[in-house]
Amino acid sequence: MSLFVASLGFGLVTASILAVAAVGFTLQFGVTNILNLAFGDIMTAAAFMGYIATTNGASIWLALAVGGAFGALFSVLLNRLLYTPFVRRGTRLFGMIIVTIAVSLIIQNGIQAIWGPSFFSLKFSPGHSYHVLGSMVFTTAQFGIMGIAVVAMLGVYGLLRYTKLGKAMRATASDPALARSCGIATDRVIDVAWVLSGALCGIAGIALAMNVTSFTSTTGGTFLIAIVAAAVLGGVGQAYGAMLGALTIGITSEVAAGLIAPAWKQVVAFAVLVAVLLVRPQGILSEVAEDKEVVA
Amino acid sequence: MTDLLAVRDIRKSFGGVHAVDGVSLSVPQGSTTGLIGPNGAGKSTALGVIAGALRADGGTVEFDGDDISGLPPMNRARRGLIRTFQTSSPFSRLTVLENLLVAAQNNPGETLLGAVLLGKRSWRRHERELVDRARELMAQFEMTDKEDEWAGNLSGGQKRLLEIMRGLMARPKLLLLDEPMAGVNPTLARGIEGHLERLRHDGLTMLMIEHELGVVERLCDRVIVMAQGKVISEGTMESLRTEQEVLDAYLVG
Amino acid sequence: MSTAWQFYFSTLAIYLAVDIMAVWGLNLQFGVAGISSFAFIMFQAIGAYVASVLTLGPAQPTSFQQYIGGANLPFPLPLLAAGLAGGLLALVVGLISLRRLRTDYQAMVMLVISLTATYVVDNETHLFNGPAGLSLVPKPLFDSLGLSLISYQWFYVGLSAVICVLIYLVVRRFTGSPLGRAMRAARDNEHAAAALGKNVLALRMTAFVAGGVIAGISGAVFVDFIGAWSPGSWLYPETFVYFTAILVGGTGNNVGVAVGALLVPIGFLEATRYLPNIGYPGFVDALEWVAVGVLALIFLWFWPRGVIPERKRRFPRAGEERRRFGVLALRGRS
Repeated sequence: MSLFVASLGFGLVTASILAVAAVGFTLQFGVTNILNLAFGDIMTAAAFMGYIATTNGASIWLALAVGGAFGALFSVLLNRLLYTPFVRRGTRLFGMIIVTIAVSLIIQNGIQAIWGPSFFSLKFSPGHSYHVLGSMVFTTAQFGIMGIAVVAMLGVYGLLRYTKLGKAMRATASDPALARSCGIATDRVIDVAWVLSGALCGIAGIALAMNVTSFTSTTGGTFLIAIVAAAVLGGVGQAYGAMLGALTIGITSEVAAGLIAPAWKQVVAFAVLVAVLLVRPQGILSEVAEDKEVVA
Repeated sequence: MTDLLAVRDIRKSFGGVHAVDGVSLSVPQGSTTGLIGPNGAGKSTALGVIAGALRADGGTVEFDGDDISGLPPMNRARRGLIRTFQTSSPFSRLTVLENLLVAAQNNPGETLLGAVLLGKRSWRRHERELVDRARELMAQFEMTDKEDEWAGNLSGGQKRLLEIMRGLMARPKLLLLDEPMAGVNPTLARGIEGHLERLRHDGLTMLMIEHELGVVERLCDRVIVMAQGKVISEGTMESLRTEQEVLDAYLVG
Repeated sequence: MSTAWQFYFSTLAIYLAVDIMAVWGLNLQFGVAGISSFAFIMFQAIGAYVASVLTLGPAQPTSFQQYIGGANLPFPLPLLAAGLAGGLLALVVGLISLRRLRTDYQAMVMLVISLTATYVVDNETHLFNGPAGLSLVPKPLFDSLGLSLISYQWFYVGLSAVICVLIYLVVRRFTGSPLGRAMRAARDNEHAAAALGKNVLALRMTAFVAGGVIAGISGAVFVDFIGAWSPGSWLYPETFVYFTAILVGGTGNNVGVAVGALLVPIGFLEATRYLPNIGYPGFVDALEWVAVGVLALIFLWFWPRGVIPERKRRFPRAGEERRRFGVLALRGRS
């Protein structure tokens, strides 16, 4: 029982990281209709930026800010300099996947070329350990991660629901041509979507690096499995669905890992993905648009 | 005259909107029936249900004596119920000729057995016959010079013709046409009308959605009028012109 | 020619045969049927695995490698079993993911499937011997032929070439037939195809499984030559290399993709072998991958249709018939 509760604790932390990442991934997809499979690798890159920061004396909070800023900048440049030109050139859905995977390979191997195949860790102090409900153990840092996740989720919720920008994003997501003719500056909205999702990506990357003993050039890429599973579970493009999906997958994968075997973490995420695809491919909360074209 | 198609009380809603709300209609063998009505009347939805592309919430569809209500489009097509699409759907990276050839049914070369295990000899003769039939069709529709063109490169009007020709290659018992003249220039529309007239003369059973009432009057033996998801009247175009209900429906839209 | 050069060229020739077969298999799935088969490498991997296991003999508990199954089957049998394995895996993956998913979504799902498979293989040591993989797989017919090492190489080149030609004849039967045409139609517009009576799911599964079988066979030819199977050589970037080969060569036509196989996995990757080994071990490899990514982007930008684009299939008219054996012949091309 205590093992179960302890795993539940790990699950909450993993779910937090996953939630930030999955919401970033799905938000960007919802607005632009591009499945950015380089997302995990951008997380890795952000983690390495954080590594540079912390080994040069920066606090972990600064590292988080650096990671977020890096993610945002990198993502918006990636879109402007690469994705958008390809889309404007007429590249359709599958072609864009090739582009994003190419980018993923370039980033991942670029990182490996620069830093080598070794493992790295962020330099920070995790703080005290606190026991909750007997068997759950959280460090200060982990509380921090969960806190960040909550703040980020509330922020995204507030943005989408109450601000003009949020409404513009939702409009662009459902019908870009119509949104444009209603006077919405879709180009600006798209930039914002990439900045936002990039920031979330970067922050999630740092958080991930904080939570694992060490990370390497492939860490983010592997995490992509869980991100995709969470996004698909919730309905790709649905921010709230991604939060739900992240919670589900984060917790069940850690519990499975704790109760059965550590290797089961990834398998659970994968099994959820397969189950969703077989039973309800559009996810819990939405429809995946069939053949809606990419927006740039 | 027996009914080739008998639709009884079909219903289809989309998120609370009753697009088709208890529609019954029938199409006698050999006739050309028109389906008209203002925008949003549910005509395309009804056609979708008949073709199997949409699953009805209720009601039945009977074709050639069999209840086909639960069958997917693929099975309906195999029984001879062929539909064309409002937005032309050519196979863009196949040539015009290939588009026609692929439309034919029961090609022995399309099975794994015929194509891979037995090889060319088993389907060569059939293919030859199909090519001849396709070329005849292209001659009738005056598209012979486009035979080797990528279907994706055709003009809008040519794609429309291809859509109809493809439907014919499938040897339909009933051809469902979804606005065959929509958005087409008047000269081409006249051309298409001429082709349809010929098909009607040859005895093909057709059900067509069409907005241009002049065309409907010239081509269709009977006309069914829909508005707001229901059938409000049927008869010949002449009789309908005087019916108050019909006039109201068109004015209200 | 010196023995060293002979070894080099013969090895290259065998790699080429393997890659050409693989690319034909992938082309059947992607170029002809339009499936975003990003799990492709798995089919090649499982074919190679099955071929290894069926030639290694039953797993000995005392041996340093553990695996499932195991037999000591004579030459063509492991190859055929490999094809079967590839086909079966494709069947399973296809049943999960060949639903009506849009192409990029489908690619993503398949990618995740292959990522997870890699993960499982790396971690489930008792099934696949973990990251170390399998080694000491005996070469087919080596003992019975008793040739010198270099002669055996050339023999194997001939063997691979023969298998390659056989695969080509089968692939040709797919692509040049009404079946292939129906697959391409389903690729171009599945709703229209269904509305004309085509069973789109069956067409796709057929292409997918056939591609899986071919991939499995190519994997077997590869592993029987190399003698080792490690999970690290079957990662998703390998699928990406094949896709790049198809992209560069030209999707949808067999000659084009074969040219792509020559240019990308062989030409490009082999050419970079001759770069000096600078930096730490693996540095040049990492750069190679960066270069593959860049290459794919360049080709997708400038020549999206590839070096040899899909060609039109024409049918002879009345005056142009070719008469062969007194029977009217149809001249279609693939």
